[in-house]
Amino acid sequence: MLDLRIPSGWFFALLGAILVAMGIFAPETRAALTEANVNLYCGAGMLAFGAFMLILAHLAARKPR
Amino acid sequence: MQLAPVDYLILATYFAFVLGIGWILRKKISTSGDFLLSGHAVPVWITSLAFIAANLGAQELIGMSASGAKYGMMTVHFYLIGAVPALIFMGLFMMPFYYGSKARSVPEYLKMRFDEKTRTFNACTFAVMTVFSSGISMYALGLLLQLVLGWNFSTSVLVSAAVVLIYTFLGGLTSAIYNEVLQFLLIVLGFAPLSIMAVIKVGGWAGIQARVAPKMLHAWTYLGNAKENSMGVDLFGLVGGLGFVLAFGYWCTNFLVVQRAMAARNMSDARRTPMIGALPKMFLPFVVVLPGLAALALSQMGVGYSIPIKDGGPDYNQVLTTLMAKFYPAGMLGVGLTALMASFMSGMAGNVTAFNTVWTYDIYQSHIRKNAPDRHYLTVGRITTVAGVLLSIAAAYYARRYSNIMDLLQLVFGVVNAPLFATFVLGMFWKRTTANGAFTGLITGTSAAVATLCLTVAEGKGGWLGNVHEFSSAMAQNFWIAMVAWTTCFVVTLVISLMGKPRPDSEMEGLVYGLTKIPRDEGARWYQRPVPLAVVVGIIFIAFNIWFR
Repeated sequence: MLDLRIPSGWFFALLGAILVAMGIFAPETRAALTEANVNLYCGAGMLAFGAFMLILAHLAARKPR
Repeated sequence: MQLAPVDYLILATYFAFVLGIGWILRKKISTSGDFLLSGHAVPVWITSLAFIAANLGAQELIGMSASGAKYGMMTVHFYLIGAVPALIFMGLFMMPFYYGSKARSVPEYLKMRFDEKTRTFNACTFAVMTVFSSGISMYALGLLLQLVLGWNFSTSVLVSAAVVLIYTFLGGLTSAIYNEVLQFLLIVLGFAPLSIMAVIKVGGWAGIQARVAPKMLHAWTYLGNAKENSMGVDLFGLVGGLGFVLAFGYWCTNFLVVQRAMAARNMSDARRTPMIGALPKMFLPFVVVLPGLAALALSQMGVGYSIPIKDGGPDYNQVLTTLMAKFYPAGMLGVGLTALMASFMSGMAGNVTAFNTVWTYDIYQSHIRKNAPDRHYLTVGRITTVAGVLLSIAAAYYARRYSNIMDLLQLVFGVVNAPLFATFVLGMFWKRTTANGAFTGLITGTSAAVATLCLTVAEGKGGWLGNVHEFSSAMAQNFWIAMVAWTTCFVVTLVISLMGKPRPDSEMEGLVYGLTKIPRDEGARWYQRPVPLAVVVGIIFIAFNIWFR
């Protein structure tokens, strides 16, 4: 059975990477009501979440049942 | 609102992943059970999140943030009393019969406990409702995307329906459930930053308190009098109508959600599914309701945000998307919109897979072709997936053309299932309940719901057959109709059952309380056992209610 943590981990890691890249290379992309570099922070959060899912999946795969 | 190329890239990435999950899972399908029931092989954390996600459709997301702006903190009742007690009850008391009876669907349980006519009645109303519900939510999504992004209605409806069709066709229920979890995570991660930023912008809770009327900031305080609170409901209507009849009717008998729990690997997992699902459910108001409330406060600040206007009145349904446009730059905006699409897809896939199972097993197999080889039903299931999606698309266009009829249908759907919970309570916990009692009760209860709708007026609507009573709000009307329908069904079922001959006990093993062995999970850790888990969920539920009072 497919371990869902693997595709969702990759999905959020990829999304996070796109957003972080936006945050670094196009830092002037801002929304009307906030001063923050939203892409950078949200991207970093998603990247971390994706990595966390992948680590969990990796640990689960190594531990035999 | 204008999208940048990066936003489309994110949307395309999402499409690729949901379709990819369907593609990987297609190999698992070899029987109709694999396709329609997931072959009892899904881990409990996945069934639990899918249980909540199937309910978290686009309409729910848009509607609840709209309610946050319109009614304030009272909206949290839909996540607390309107869900949690029912979820605990479902896990502790009802799941043993659903899962233990080996029924493949909710209507099939009715067939085992009662008879064919009750099952067919339930299967037919359910099938019609799922098709129209997914059509209505498709219409709502198409309309919103047209309004906000200028996207063509047909393109957004057809593309999103096609994606749902492909991944449910490939991987069946398992694919729908797995994608629902991905969609749920995306919804939370995509909307939580919006909620946080909007609340920071208005100066935190204190900033909201300073700008919004106090009655919008309490869930319980103003419930003593229907005229004093924002929803126009009274305490009894809310607790009895929403907290009891509608919540238990929805969460405990709606096959759309029950199907997710039934896909669990074993009885303990199935029983814990609704209770584990209750945990994220209780935190959803922070992501869904709070942005609406913050938007209301924000519109008082003169910083360039105002509640959108349509036809001269506030259009709260656009609150979520307009907030996104103000707080999310290109990039994150794509994530937010993708999350909105994801919520639509999880709701629609939920409807399609439930429709599939009910049509294939409860209508086709029991009335059209009985003893075919399993391969035949797998084919029927696959064809039904296509048919279900096509019917939903037709319903979406119908809704676009006749929006008034759809408003009415939604009112009817809101109450038509209310009596069903009475049938289940009596059927599961009183072995004297007879098949004729259940059927007559269900029919009269449903008729009572429709009759009450036609005889009462609220907010200028209803009263097609006369005006017996006028409710303070449509919400109050909805809650009271539910209570009338439930009570009618309960009393009629009881009386007719007492007049008939009871079924022998030996035929009802595994179907009724007292004749069913409820397994004890000796030796399992506390969080692996349903009862301690229920206590923990119950304590958190009470704490939330005290906090939001």
